[in-house]
Amino acid sequence: MGDFLQQLDRWLYAALPGTLVAFLILLTLAPVRLPEVLAVAPLLPLMAVYHFCLFRAEALPAWLLFGLGILFDLLQGGPGTPVGVSALQFLLVRQAILGNQKYLVEVSFTFIWFGYAVLSAVAVALSWCAVSLLMWRFIDPQPAVFQYVVSLFLYPIFGWLIGRGRGRDPLNAPDPRVPGSRP
Amino acid sequence: MALRNAVAQAAVSVRYVVQRFSLALLVAAAIGVMLIGKADTVLLERARAAALDLAAPLLEALSRPVATINRLIADVEDLANLRAENARLREENARLVTWQSVARRMEVENAELRGLLNFKEGPQATFITARVVGDSGSAFVRSMLLNVGRSGGVTSGQAVVTGEGLIGRITEVGESWARVLLLSDLSFRLPVLVERSREPAILTGDNSQLPRLAMTQSLAGIQVGDRIVTSGHGGSFPVGIPVGVVSSVGEGGVRVKPLGDVLRVEFVRVVDYGITGLVTGPAPPPEVYGPPAPPPRAAATKAR
Repeated sequence: MGDFLQQLDRWLYAALPGTLVAFLILLTLAPVRLPEVLAVAPLLPLMAVYHFCLFRAEALPAWLLFGLGILFDLLQGGPGTPVGVSALQFLLVRQAILGNQKYLVEVSFTFIWFGYAVLSAVAVALSWCAVSLLMWRFIDPQPAVFQYVVSLFLYPIFGWLIGRGRGRDPLNAPDPRVPGSRP
Repeated sequence: MALRNAVAQAAVSVRYVVQRFSLALLVAAAIGVMLIGKADTVLLERARAAALDLAAPLLEALSRPVATINRLIADVEDLANLRAENARLREENARLVTWQSVARRMEVENAELRGLLNFKEGPQATFITARVVGDSGSAFVRSMLLNVGRSGGVTSGQAVVTGEGLIGRITEVGESWARVLLLSDLSFRLPVLVERSREPAILTGDNSQLPRLAMTQSLAGIQVGDRIVTSGHGGSFPVGIPVGVVSSVGEGGVRVKPLGDVLRVEFVRVVDYGITGLVTGPAPPPEVYGPPAPPPRAAATKAR
C-alpha cells in the first residue's frame, strides 16, 4: 500500500507540470473580467513553460509542449492565432533554456526574471511576426506589448507560488534531518 | 543473423537521429501546421471544432467560479464610484422618462400609420440568451465562447447583442458551444449606416478598441457623436441594431466606439432573425412563382 502511494505520488509529481500548463491554458480562455488594465489575458502558459523548463525540463518533453501549444492555438480560434505559433514559442523557450543550462545553475531570482523578460519578449515578437506575415498586413502590436508587460510583472508572483511546490520533491528521499519535511 | 544485426543497427541509428533532431522536427512540424492552417481552412475549422468540443464542458464548469470572482471584482469597483454613478443615473433617469413618453406617443402613431399604409414588416427577431464561457485569450484575436450551440438554435452568421448594442457575430458553432467574433477583431466586417445621414459604410475591426469606418462615400457628413447602426445589407442582421458612436473623425479615418461593453458582459443575446443571409453558406432555394415545378426525376434528367 505504501509502495503504491509512493508510486502514485511520483506519477502525480511527474504529471504536474504538463497538467498545470493545460490548466493555465483553460484559465487563459476563461472570461475573467479584470479591471480594464488587464483586458488582455497574461501569458500564463508561457510563464509555466519557462518556469518548469528551468527547473524540471524532464517533466515537459518537447512533444508534450508541441501538443499543448497546438491545443492552445486551436482553442483560441480566429485568424489571429495561426495554429502552431504557441507550439513554436514553447519549443523555443525550452531549447533556449536547455541550450544555456550551464549558465543557469544556482542563479539569483533577478537573473531568472531577466531571462523570462528576454525570452518572453522574443516569443511575443515571434508570434506578432507570424500573425502579421500570415495575414499579410500590419497589426497593431499594442495589445501584445501590453500583454507582455503585464505578464512580466506577474512573473515574480507566479514564480513564487509555483516555487513553493517545488521544494517538495518525492524523487529525493525525504530528509529526516530537516524537521517538518514530508515524504 | 546478419540481417537482424543490420535491422537493429538501423533502428539504433534512426532512434539517434530522431533524438538528435526531435526538436528540429517538432519546430518544422509547428511551422508546417501553420502553413497548412493557412492553406486548408476547412481542415483547420474541423480541428478547432473538435478541440472545442473537448474543452467546452471544462470551460463551462470553470465559468461559474470565474463569474463569482468577476462579480466580486465588479462589486469592489462599483463601491468605489457609487456616489458618482448614482448622480449620473438620476440625471439619466430624468432624461429617459421624458423620452419614454415621446416613444409611447410615437409607437401609437407608428402603429396607426402602418395600419393605414398596409406596411409589411420584416421577419420578427427572436433572442437566444447565452452565457459567456470563454475569451480568446490572445493578443491578436477578439472573440468569445458561448455555452449554446446548434442544439440551442444558434447558427453561424447571427448577430450577438448585449442590452446596449451589437458586440459581434457568430462565426463557428458546435453542438453546445458557439464562437462570437467581436467587432474589434482583425477580420470583422459589417455593413452599417450612419443613423443621422443614412449613409452606408463598412465597419472594419483592426484589433484596437475602436473599430474603423471604411468605404464611406464622403467623410464630410460624419460628425463625432453620430450613431452607427446595422444596415441589414447582407441579410443576416436585422436593420437598426445600434452598433456604436463615432468617436473621432480625422486623418486616421473615422473611429467608432462600440456601445456594447464586452469587458464586463456575462450573458449575451444571439439574435435569431429567421433568415440566414449571404454570410452563411448556400442560401435556401428561391421560391418559384408560376407553373408548378416538374417532378424531381424529370428535372434531374433535363439538367443532365
